[in-house]
Amino acid sequence: MASLGACGEWLVSTYEKKLIAIHTKKNREPFVFDCSAAEQKPKDPEADNKSDGSEETGSDKILAFSVSSSAKLVALTDDTKRLVLFRCEPSWQVISTRWVVRRCTSLVFTEAEDEVWAADKSGDVYSFSVVEPQKTGELKLGHLSMLLSMTLTPNDKYVVTADRDEKIRVSHLRSPHNIQAFCLGHLEFVSSLLAPPGHPQWLLSGSGDGTMKLWEYESGRRLQSWDLKQLRDMPKSDTEKETRSAVSRIAGSPGGHHVAVQCERVPSVQLFGMEQGTEERLMPSSRLTLPHCPLDLTFDPQGRLWVLLDSRETPFLVYTHTQDSWQCDSESPEMKRVTEALQPHWEALQVSAGLESRFQHLYKGNFDNMASYREKKQQRLQQQKEQGGKKRGPGKGQQSNGASKKAKKGNQPGPVTKASS
Amino acid sequence: MSVSMPQKRYYRQRAHSNPMADHTFEYPVCPEDMDWSQLYPEFFSDHQSTQKAAQVEFADIGCGYGGLLVELSPLFPKQLILGLEIRVKVSDYVQDRVRSLRAAETGSYQNIACLRSNAMKYLPNFFSKGQGLVYTNTDVEEVHLWMVKHFSEHLLFTRVPDAELVDDVIISRLGTCTEEGKKVQRNGGKNYLAVFRRVEDQN
Repeated sequence: MASLGACGEWLVSTYEKKLIAIHTKKNREPFVFDCSAAEQKPKDPEADNKSDGSEETGSDKILAFSVSSSAKLVALTDDTKRLVLFRCEPSWQVISTRWVVRRCTSLVFTEAEDEVWAADKSGDVYSFSVVEPQKTGELKLGHLSMLLSMTLTPNDKYVVTADRDEKIRVSHLRSPHNIQAFCLGHLEFVSSLLAPPGHPQWLLSGSGDGTMKLWEYESGRRLQSWDLKQLRDMPKSDTEKETRSAVSRIAGSPGGHHVAVQCERVPSVQLFGMEQGTEERLMPSSRLTLPHCPLDLTFDPQGRLWVLLDSRETPFLVYTHTQDSWQCDSESPEMKRVTEALQPHWEALQVSAGLESRFQHLYKGNFDNMASYREKKQQRLQQQKEQGGKKRGPGKGQQSNGASKKAKKGNQPGPVTKASS
Repeated sequence: MSVSMPQKRYYRQRAHSNPMADHTFEYPVCPEDMDWSQLYPEFFSDHQSTQKAAQVEFADIGCGYGGLLVELSPLFPKQLILGLEIRVKVSDYVQDRVRSLRAAETGSYQNIACLRSNAMKYLPNFFSKGQGLVYTNTDVEEVHLWMVKHFSEHLLFTRVPDAELVDDVIISRLGTCTEEGKKVQRNGGKNYLAVFRRVEDQN
């Protein structure tokens, strides 16, 4: 898994187990952090007595990272359940390494930069103190389904969490038990969220249903919705399932004028801009065709769009918005500097984007308990009818085959859970 | 045409169902999209259109074989009562039972219905935020203490003292009209009751 983010004048990317921060303007030595060489979890003497085999070792792969609002702090979380906090100024340094209870999918700093929040695969959200960097996490709220994305709204008022059960929940940050609203409308898991800069009431969400939706998060009201597949002018295919493409990233420009959307396994980026008019509306503006499917994308503080590719020669594409269109800047000095700085590290980074989907396994299988039950019930009723109907009353006397089958069935366990996901 | 009463023995299912398993449930995308007229046809027929749309005001979470629904129906004839049950056979039993009762007594039992769903996950899909009361009842003291602990610790709920519940019509029936309740009575077990009220956030 690879990802990209801007941290002030640094460009931060993660590849599998490594985080690499490269300065875009000055020739400084890149900062590399390798999770496989990171602090190991101290052995708990009590745990040695337990032989439940729950201590599976993680793969050290980076699952998520976040940059704080002032770009002074970065946090990452990996498959070995580490939560590592870094400072970026005056130089990159690990502040602390803590441990999460379950693997996390999303990290976000508060605007005040006093806490970093982590959302995990079991549906729980923990907050970790930045001011006390060794303090253990505090449980804040929980969903009943895997959390896939999380964001905070301006002034740290609300925490927005999105899960596999198509739900987006808006809760008060300081009293997270108090749910403000649900933004309900997606038909599949919600894979990405963005509180777009410059629009304090707005929330953007992307889903496995291939749509992006715009919400007024405080009320849960849906304002707009776009089917990204339709925007790509895809013809309707019979094999809908194979062409399902989840929204994997929604990024917003710092000025609040543009939004970039990436869908998995799609070699293009869809851009949106603000429509001129009395009412604020977002409109699709242009679509950028890429040489391959991007790994991730981000806007830098100058409003340029950086796209991360799995390519040694051109790992980064930079687009700038001039006049009314987006142009690829192949001469960008920043892009050239960063590309060059990345070269010596490329081999060791083991970039393995592949065509592996991060989201395919999140689509729910349909295990319809009702259908098979209804069939059997129909058979039973049919058999009863054919035997001239039964006398009403407690179940004594002869039972038809159908009835005895039913009685036996009653002793068996209830709905069978799916064997495979 | 009379609809015969369903016989429980054809609908037996063990009490435990894994609510975290991924079974297919039908649920609306959001509460506004829910078509309640399918469950309560009499309340949503054309001649009712001028009246304010009826809303479900009572929800029996884990309604089992529907004992409480049937008991409460005549006590609150103008209010909609919904039972939620996760088990396939049991929810089907209640639906058949309601159909049969409605056919047997015209005009009655129109205000009760049962939905098969996972309340833990999908309650927000059916219902928007509201105020109200939560009635909890169990014969297992540990469960009672667990529920009391969590509701009491939850800053948005406060316990309703017993003194305020003296005239409550629901309380007196909670422990007696359901399958489980009757079983407890037969075995001489005890009923543990606790009621909580949703309060405003203090912040």
